Amino acid sequence: MNRRSLALLALCLPILLLLVGCPKTEPPTPSTAGPLPSTSAATPSSPDAGETIEIAMIPKLVGIDFFNACERGAKEAAEELPGVDLVFDGPTEASVEGQVEMIENYTDRGVDVIAVACNDPNAVADSLKRAVDKGITVITWDSDADAAASGRAFFVNQVRARDLAETLVDEMARQAGEDANIVIVSSTPTATNQNTWIKHMREYMAEVYPGMKEAADVLYPGEDQAAATMATQDVLKANPSINGVFGLSSNACPGAAQAVVDAGRHTEVSVVGLGTPKAMRAWVDRGEIGSTVLWDAVQLGYLTVHVAQAVARGELGPDAESFAAGRLGEVAVEGDVVVLGKPVVFTKENIADYDF
Amino acid sequence: MKETPKERRLATPETILALLLLLLLAGLSVASPEFRRPSNYLGMTRFFIEVGLIALPMTLVIITGGMDLSVGSIVALAAVTLGIAWRDWHLSIWLATALGVLVGAVAGLVNGALIVGFRIPPLIVTLATMAAYRGLAIGISRGDSIGGFPNEFRALGRGFYYLPHGIEVPGQLIYLIVFALLFRLFLARTGTGRQVYAIGLNETGAQYAGVPVGRVKLLIYSLSGAMAGLAGAVLASRMSTATSDLGLLFELDAITACVLGGVSIYGGRGSILGSMLGLCIVGSLKRGLFFLGVEARDQSIIIGIVLILAVFVHQVVVPAVRNWRLRLSHSKEGSP
Repeated sequence: MNRRSLALLALCLPILLLLVGCPKTEPPTPSTAGPLPSTSAATPSSPDAGETIEIAMIPKLVGIDFFNACERGAKEAAEELPGVDLVFDGPTEASVEGQVEMIENYTDRGVDVIAVACNDPNAVADSLKRAVDKGITVITWDSDADAAASGRAFFVNQVRARDLAETLVDEMARQAGEDANIVIVSSTPTATNQNTWIKHMREYMAEVYPGMKEAADVLYPGEDQAAATMATQDVLKANPSINGVFGLSSNACPGAAQAVVDAGRHTEVSVVGLGTPKAMRAWVDRGEIGSTVLWDAVQLGYLTVHVAQAVARGELGPDAESFAAGRLGEVAVEGDVVVLGKPVVFTKENIADYDF
Repeated sequence: MKETPKERRLATPETILALLLLLLLAGLSVASPEFRRPSNYLGMTRFFIEVGLIALPMTLVIITGGMDLSVGSIVALAAVTLGIAWRDWHLSIWLATALGVLVGAVAGLVNGALIVGFRIPPLIVTLATMAAYRGLAIGISRGDSIGGFPNEFRALGRGFYYLPHGIEVPGQLIYLIVFALLFRLFLARTGTGRQVYAIGLNETGAQYAGVPVGRVKLLIYSLSGAMAGLAGAVLASRMSTATSDLGLLFELDAITACVLGGVSIYGGRGSILGSMLGLCIVGSLKRGLFFLGVEARDQSIIIGIVLILAVFVHQVVVPAVRNWRLRLSHSKEGSP
């Protein structure tokens, strides 16, 4: 053995000895023992009203307009509430590893509340469970984690799926007529949110607008705006009767709008969907696209911080039916879900007021 | 005057790196009460074990003057294969894990075959396969995330040994130490290991000297793929999920560890110990900066600056110190 090997061994041996030779070493055990019955997460750490509550709010990623707007709302709430210390920090890419590392880092640092917009419901569940086991209050917002496996106390939901589906279909009926021929541009075939919305949209169309028909199969361009544009162009060429396009993601909506406006067909084809006001504003301002439907990101951040501090102080428990959230007034609580409210329709009149 | 063995040992870049690491740990421990908690030092390694498993073969690849940018995508491909094999083909979880590692090895072998067979530069080949393997992973999984793995699999990346006082030691730290020793022995004690250096110093010369350059390259790129596959399994376990966006930017993290550890990007120089020290320096720095309240976006900037400084130290300061010592010993020889 030469010297470098010896040096490496010298570095490693103490650690190995410590691990292997230590008489009290237990066998490796997973830190999570499967889905345990969810316990009330609020009990282990309920700081008194006088104590400062440290909240770590973790978005899917930092540096995009939507989450910047959430951050603004969250900070407004933190300033308004006494004794709240807020950190808004997320991974620089929407990666599960980055988010899990961040959750575990904040767990090790020992904050009072962790509030996460989950990049993956499975991936964060075990890490959140570890946080709950260490006495940290855990809530989710924007995108939920597996509720049972993570042991999170509440999910702050921006909008009910049913409300969103109804608003979208109503908006389409208003713009393209009650017997429009429509096509849906979704995300990936397995995207949970989109599939739920499509189900509710179909039910609502059958119920209220029986004349509205799907003229082509649902398109799945993934989370890719350029792919959404191409898919929309193709389907419009193949089915000239289509006069309404639903863009069901923040990429599908501007993608579909681009296809329709580029083809110069915006006078006959309406695009309704979930685009951010900033991405859709140019088209809406010029009147080429009628509106875009989403929720208010600032208020979502605001509500999340209110919920976080109320749960940590033990003021919001499992059997609440409504919750007073500062300037938002009373918001509905359904089981372990706090609902922000109805979706917002952004039109020429109000779209300039939102910068996300 | 000849340098004594002791002096030569003190001059190695590894010694400098080890000192740097100790200084960094000491500094961060003083600055942050969370950092100096006993459970932190070993506990934080769980965040960079997977990158470490990749940095081991990456060290060999870079020593030959090559590069493997596809490892992050292979991590995803292996994890997704493992997930699909377990959930949809109903293989046992360990058989599925083996299949994931095998797929990684095959992906690495394809890299090697393209590099050796068509004489395309490794940077270009692995840049192409980086996109291709990621695309394949997305295609196989259809963008889905697979979770709910059995408990015995979770132990692979979420198991802990417990020391007295409740100090958590991530189980996967043991794998990294074992593999680091194996790679160290391979590189320093075997003929093939020395051939790796020979290829990096002068590939044509090595060829004429009878080194089977093609075969050695095939071997190390396959190793790189297999280790990325293993990292994918550990990561899937630690994340409790297998999705196609695992391992994003892992290639950069692994290359950072190697370059920081003194592996020359021009080939021919570097060691496993150096890369592992580089890995620990980046990992500790990230964790320390987090505890000091530095946000993720600012951390990346600091890591970038550290990397540039490291290259400066390895390219400029270390050779300068070496020359100075050389001159010193010459002047001592010259004096009466």
